[in-house]
Amino acid sequence: MSMDHLRWRPTVNERDFIERVLQSDLRVDGRNSFDFRTLKITLGREDGMSEVQLGETRVMAYVTAQLVQPYRDRPNEGTLAIFTEFSPMADPAFEAGHPGESAIELGRSRAVDMESLCVVAGKQVWSVRVDLHILDNGGNLIDAANIAALAALSTFRRPECTVGGDDGQQVIVHDPEVRDPIPLTIHHMPIAVTFAYFGEGNIVVLDPTYKEEAVMGGRMTATINSNGDVCAIQKAGGEGVMSGVIMQCLRIASVKAADITSKIKKAVDSYTTEKDLKKVKRLPVSVPQKIHVTDVTMENKGDGELETQTQTAKTPSDVQQISKDPAPMVEASSEEDAQPVTDSSNAEAKSTSNPHGANGESDEAQEIGSPKSLKDAIKPKHKRKKKSGRITSYHCLRISAPLPPPQRAFLQDINK
Amino acid sequence: MESRRPPPSPFVENYVVPGDVVLDLSEMTNQTIKLGAGLRQECDTIQATSSGKLRLSKPNKYWVESSQKRYTPSVEDTVLGIVVDTKPDNFLVDIKGPNLAFLPVLAFEGGTRRNIPKFEIGTLIYARVVKANSIMNPELSCMDATGKAAEFGQLKDGYMFDTSTGMSRMLLSSPTCPVLEALGKKLSFEIAVGLNGRVWVNAPAPNTVILVSNAIIRSESLSGIKQRAMVENLLQKLT
Repeated sequence: MSMDHLRWRPTVNERDFIERVLQSDLRVDGRNSFDFRTLKITLGREDGMSEVQLGETRVMAYVTAQLVQPYRDRPNEGTLAIFTEFSPMADPAFEAGHPGESAIELGRSRAVDMESLCVVAGKQVWSVRVDLHILDNGGNLIDAANIAALAALSTFRRPECTVGGDDGQQVIVHDPEVRDPIPLTIHHMPIAVTFAYFGEGNIVVLDPTYKEEAVMGGRMTATINSNGDVCAIQKAGGEGVMSGVIMQCLRIASVKAADITSKIKKAVDSYTTEKDLKKVKRLPVSVPQKIHVTDVTMENKGDGELETQTQTAKTPSDVQQISKDPAPMVEASSEEDAQPVTDSSNAEAKSTSNPHGANGESDEAQEIGSPKSLKDAIKPKHKRKKKSGRITSYHCLRISAPLPPPQRAFLQDINK
Repeated sequence: MESRRPPPSPFVENYVVPGDVVLDLSEMTNQTIKLGAGLRQECDTIQATSSGKLRLSKPNKYWVESSQKRYTPSVEDTVLGIVVDTKPDNFLVDIKGPNLAFLPVLAFEGGTRRNIPKFEIGTLIYARVVKANSIMNPELSCMDATGKAAEFGQLKDGYMFDTSTGMSRMLLSSPTCPVLEALGKKLSFEIAVGLNGRVWVNAPAPNTVILVSNAIIRSESLSGIKQRAMVENLLQKLT
């Protein structure tokens, strides 16, 4: 009872009016029966975070991942879990912590490839967790939450990890500043499209607002992807609907789903290109020079100190070399991703000495080696973690210890 | 008479934030000043406790006006309420405030125990706030001060929507708000505006109702000229 007086109740006037208006094919906010409200997707604060605004409804999604033990019956697959938080700020009718049906609906889809999330079969897999926060309930939460989750999953990057250690079972998670994190493999995008029924099932509208939801007789959500496959249909209670109407709704939903998929992809693409541009922009535009390096193998230095040999004059060119790193690094890591890593030392050899493009092998190895060594100069303590299980014979660059501050800032920013 | 008037505060008709000293009482003697919402007396000064525009109503009423989505009930406001429950003595009415308001069943013109109006849950009522303070539930009445009905009571048909409190004040201001003026030139409709941020619109054709309600909702952040332009646009689209 204490929260009851805060619940918004539709007046008799509104109920009658909305129904009357729908009889003549109008909607209260001036839309057509099958129009979505304006959709705005905001990405860009972080990888894996998205905010979607569908008319008045606002939902924010945040993706995180961690290593866990897999389920017994699925030792090769990671897991995807979706949690929804309904804050009373969004709608006074929500009580904090009440789980919603939309969370359950979203969690059931199999759009994200689970097998690519496996690290060590039977022991360690990635468990991806999507947290949805409902910021404002303006109606049609399911669709908005679905779009937010898909956008966030598309931009999420999980840290790269390799299997190593003495027994080949120990998993090392690489710092995102050392190795670029990798995106998830998403097979397809299931888009949820919600219909609301009024007046004994013969009036159908798409994307109901808050008031229409309060007055509607029943609701149906169809989840379709851009290929036209129907992933799920959910109709929980409410009025009965003729099957012909359902088929019509599905047809409309597939058109809308294609539209929304393209919008999501556009937003995600512009975000990723912007991020890539940021990485490159910071450095002075000049031709990367080949560094002539003495072929020295880096021994396992337990103390984490590097000897200084080369002059500081070389460091600007190091910085330039690093500018090329994100591109080859991403390619290297995506190749690794495709082949599940089981054998540590061979995999390492592949990744470090896998030549792409024009540069010679030594240069390539240097490039991958050099950020580590520069990183080592700045953060010596990470070296120990990475060292275990690494092959010892790659070329590296020895540099003078502390870099002048502006360059250090460059380097840290690049590998983010 | 001129000498007795308190020096006008420099903040009148300007925006204040909490903590601004609005009036200095040491300069004035033998004045009664009425303080409305958002002002508080601290020793010899009067300070603002909420942010908004400082308003003065001659001769001596000061208050701070701000626009919010929630409503703080104050006496003599006309509000639109939704009936939530009925009790033997009162109707419980939701007026978008922190508490439910009571509307006595007898507070209608010619109301006696024999002809208590029957309001079902969800009825829209246009009423006046009679008692309001932060401790108790506010009390409403469907009569004006003289005991006449004066348009108070149940509103039938039409459509109601929510706005902010600042928007409601703007709609009720005189001279007429530009958006209402522009709409009134071409369309005929009736509206009831509650100071608690609710507006009710009624017209013979549902099209008109939708047009008017959308126009009002969109004109919240627009200036007078833009409002007129927006209304012109909407009207052209439909005709």
